[in-house]
Amino acid sequence: MSAGAPLPTLLVIPTGIGCELGGYAGDAIPAARLLAAASGCLITHPNVMNAAALYWSDPRIHYVEGSSLDRFAAGELALRPVRRQRIGLLLDAGIEPELRQRHLQVADGCRASLGLEIGPVVDTDQPLEVSLSLGASGVSWGRLGQPGALLRAGERLKAAGATAIAVVARFPDDPGSEALTAYRQGGGVDALAGAEAVISHLLSQELGLPCAHAPALSPLPLDPDLDPRAAGEELGYTFLACVLVGLSRAPDLVPAPQAQPGDLAMGQVGALLAPAGALGGAAVLAAAERGIPVIAVHNPCLLQVGAEALGLQVLPAASYAEAAGLVLALREGISPAALRRPL
Amino acid sequence: MSALELQPLLLQLERGPGPLTPQVLAALAAHGRPLRWAITAAERRPQGGARLQIEAVILRSGGQP
Repeated sequence: MSAGAPLPTLLVIPTGIGCELGGYAGDAIPAARLLAAASGCLITHPNVMNAAALYWSDPRIHYVEGSSLDRFAAGELALRPVRRQRIGLLLDAGIEPELRQRHLQVADGCRASLGLEIGPVVDTDQPLEVSLSLGASGVSWGRLGQPGALLRAGERLKAAGATAIAVVARFPDDPGSEALTAYRQGGGVDALAGAEAVISHLLSQELGLPCAHAPALSPLPLDPDLDPRAAGEELGYTFLACVLVGLSRAPDLVPAPQAQPGDLAMGQVGALLAPAGALGGAAVLAAAERGIPVIAVHNPCLLQVGAEALGLQVLPAASYAEAAGLVLALREGISPAALRRPL
Repeated sequence: MSALELQPLLLQLERGPGPLTPQVLAALAAHGRPLRWAITAAERRPQGGARLQIEAVILRSGGQP
């Protein structure tokens, strides 16, 4: 491998842990764009790229649902780049007719204005019954009352030819809650994130297709103090556009034994980035256990699970800008240690 | 399929020697199939090792203990 060739790099910013950068509405996209340029090949997950009505598409960025990214990191899956996906739209039967129509119009808009291939549309045979909850640490988790209904709808879409699935579940409205107020003003955790992850993890694991989720919610009253990091979620009636764009070129998920030349495999990955206080996830541990450099980026969050507590060797970075420099050094074959003093 | 259940789980784990991932997965497997998990707290022991808190969502079939 020549110096300067793309260095496949994983970027993980866990959802629902209140990261200062990446804990809101796709506010890690600038960092992802920088890292894509530095690495030439960035593999990351919807929490990083989804900004509701806003999105960014870059052929160097591979959009991989979180549990599939974990399985990729564990060496169980390879990623096969595609020109396009045929995105099935899975709608929760608990969505009211007018809100459902709004989502169908987003799909229409993405077909007409962006040229995406979307369809068919399948409604679940009963409401999914999503509820929100926090874990002992304050991390967002969430519950799904009818997982069987989700999977039945997903299987109908797969049987109808969908190669990726965008799922929209009705989430509980709670416009007066302290958590939502704090989130809109730039504090606390995204209370929806945990349940979103549960839904997309379940679908992707069971069906083996790229999946991503958008919550269906009633519009919120205007907040004059809205934090810019949350603003992407208040520009329209749905959170669906970014999911459809992300999935439109998401790589196929291929069982590792079936990988072919041209597929991306964990053995090619040259670096993984994660928040310095959130190193206790599957992808980070898998990378560390394979000897892949882990770049621990200063990005305050609810957790304090750092390298020392876990006994991991990491490259610390004070910002994503510094982390991009480290990725570029690794890509060019420059020892990161040579960039620090004392040697 | 209708009998599938998702259950939240909170575990404490004393870390042993060797890679951490197999230790976490073994602890979770006793409760079902992990759908999502993370180490959400870690306290290093002065004598070595660490006490870990793991939060997870477990997928179980109905009737499974």
